Amino acid sequence: MNYIKGIQIVFFIIIGLLVSSLSFLMFHISPLNGLASLIDSGFGSSIALLETLKVTTPLLIMAVGLSVPFTAKFWNIGGQGQLIIGEIAATATGLALSPYLPPPLVITASMGAAFVGGAAWAMPPTIMKIKFGANEIITTLMMNFVAVYLLDYLLIGPMEGSQAKLVHAPASNPIPASDMLPKLVSTVGLSAGIIIALALAGLFYFILNYTNFGYELRVIGESRNAAKYAGIKADRRILESMAISGGIAGIAGMVLVFGTTQILIPQFFSDISTAYGYVGIPVALIASLNPLAIIASSFFLAGILNGAYIMEALYSVPIDVVITIYGTIMLFSMIGVIGDVFKALRRWIK
Amino acid sequence: MNISGIAIAVVLATFPSAIPIWLAALGETVDQASGVLDLGVEGIMLMGAIAAFVVDYFYHSALIAFIVAGLVGLAFSAVHAFISITLNGDQVVSGTALWFIGWGLSGVIYAAYFGLAITPPSVPTIGSINIPVLTSLPIVGKVLFGESPLFYISILITIALWSIMFRTQFGLNLRSVGENPLVAEVMGVSPVIYRYVSVLFGGFMAGLAGAYLTVGLTGSFYFDMTAGMGFIAVALVYFGKWNPWRVSVGAVIFGLVYALSAELESIYTSVPYQFFSMWPYIATLLIILAVGKSAHAPDALTMPYVRE
Repeated sequence: MNYIKGIQIVFFIIIGLLVSSLSFLMFHISPLNGLASLIDSGFGSSIALLETLKVTTPLLIMAVGLSVPFTAKFWNIGGQGQLIIGEIAATATGLALSPYLPPPLVITASMGAAFVGGAAWAMPPTIMKIKFGANEIITTLMMNFVAVYLLDYLLIGPMEGSQAKLVHAPASNPIPASDMLPKLVSTVGLSAGIIIALALAGLFYFILNYTNFGYELRVIGESRNAAKYAGIKADRRILESMAISGGIAGIAGMVLVFGTTQILIPQFFSDISTAYGYVGIPVALIASLNPLAIIASSFFLAGILNGAYIMEALYSVPIDVVITIYGTIMLFSMIGVIGDVFKALRRWIK
Repeated sequence: MNISGIAIAVVLATFPSAIPIWLAALGETVDQASGVLDLGVEGIMLMGAIAAFVVDYFYHSALIAFIVAGLVGLAFSAVHAFISITLNGDQVVSGTALWFIGWGLSGVIYAAYFGLAITPPSVPTIGSINIPVLTSLPIVGKVLFGESPLFYISILITIALWSIMFRTQFGLNLRSVGENPLVAEVMGVSPVIYRYVSVLFGGFMAGLAGAYLTVGLTGSFYFDMTAGMGFIAVALVYFGKWNPWRVSVGAVIFGLVYALSAELESIYTSVPYQFFSMWPYIATLLIILAVGKSAHAPDALTMPYVRE
């Protein structure tokens, strides 16, 4: 049954891809050519594959983190804010400790700070939900905007880098090269972050499927009442799942700075290329929240994102097209998840 | 600038800032009252914004621009309606998907027509209706009787919605579908039809709200110009406890928050602007906190109605 469902989802994802490729028509590109070019740019060569793996890293980490509260049907849309706070905490910690500690300790401490920062940022919406029943989708999203402006302020204020000050472009000081995550492939700058990402996916596959915690989250997601009768402390589990989710989102931010960008720059809401917190949502959802399937979906969507950069350069198709594609895929994958879609349709026609 | 000057500037900017959230929130009120949560509002607003902008740019008619934007919103919400009502899909996932599609597609359409130009093209905004005599009243004259047509439309829709929802059989049926669709069906009220009508109406209103942003307020389209307004509109429905009047009050409070933070930002230039820009979002959190547990959502909200 699982495999049949998997095939059904993949089938609808392909339909979603085809439907969204119609948007290429607006740029006088035939949809299939556009799609071929997109996929070729994302997956077509070894360089493209390595670049895609680079984008996969934060995306995979983020989506694994999101899948934890999503399993309990707690919708954490605040991954982006938690990622930003993680970046801030990691960068500040890294820059502060770098002169005094050896690189492995700096990296470990920064990662710990990122986890704590991201988890802390996830707490206000979670507590508001538990105490007052506030809709978490709205509150987590609002926290994203606050984080965006906070980062923006820090980069022209307390965290402004000395070089950035000279050129009037907001950015932090760079993390010293020796404190960066080790590079696996130095030509494209693929860092060891991908190993962290894969390890997290494996760990959470185990946790969600083979532990009591994962089981309880699933029961909560199925029915709050059932959870209550089963004696599950739903509020407590939700709080834990959000601390984990926010913390992992923070780690995604840390890996982004220590693995790729080296400096912290502002991240505006309209800039899709850095919006891993948002892109992580379709990545987790189209994989039906299964961390092993998320490995595949994050690689796939990272390739599309990567391809879209090249499409923008080649044909001036804006990078926004990628969000349309994600949305459409999400919509169709969902139709695939609804097992009895054809039954539902028949009932409707009747 | 003296205090009264600031106050007048803030008050004048309040309703224009409130209108987009107001329109979208009224639509979402009906949506949710019937038991369907539409999180796609943000994306639908963006689609309405770009649709209205393109129509007005090429055909120079604000009226047609608004109508087209409303219809685009309606078409978008039809997808949400189909998935959440007919296929019994998860409303949160479907709404999020629509948000993404609208978010991306609005930018794509803009780029297809106008390229990735640095200076955005603009259209003339629709201006305001000045009601003779009353406009010249001191202080309130300009604020209450010299507003955008959409201001008066918002008030009319608020009155109409309140009357329909709380004073007609149709409204009673609508709310019963949101509270308990099974009982409603037993009483001969079709949850499917009522929910479809509500969701389509909500989409139409979100489209209008988006159109107001481009054709009514700024005259230009910017990528992701709603910046969370659609979600603030959803939050206002909670604040308004599914009552159009209270939702309207919430929208005006929000207009005030936007106007105040913009005005203070221009006065206190020594304070980093980010602290003013983040205000509407913090205000949303505070408002949700203030409503607390007293907000009683329709019982069947987000629950698909599966007929046995």
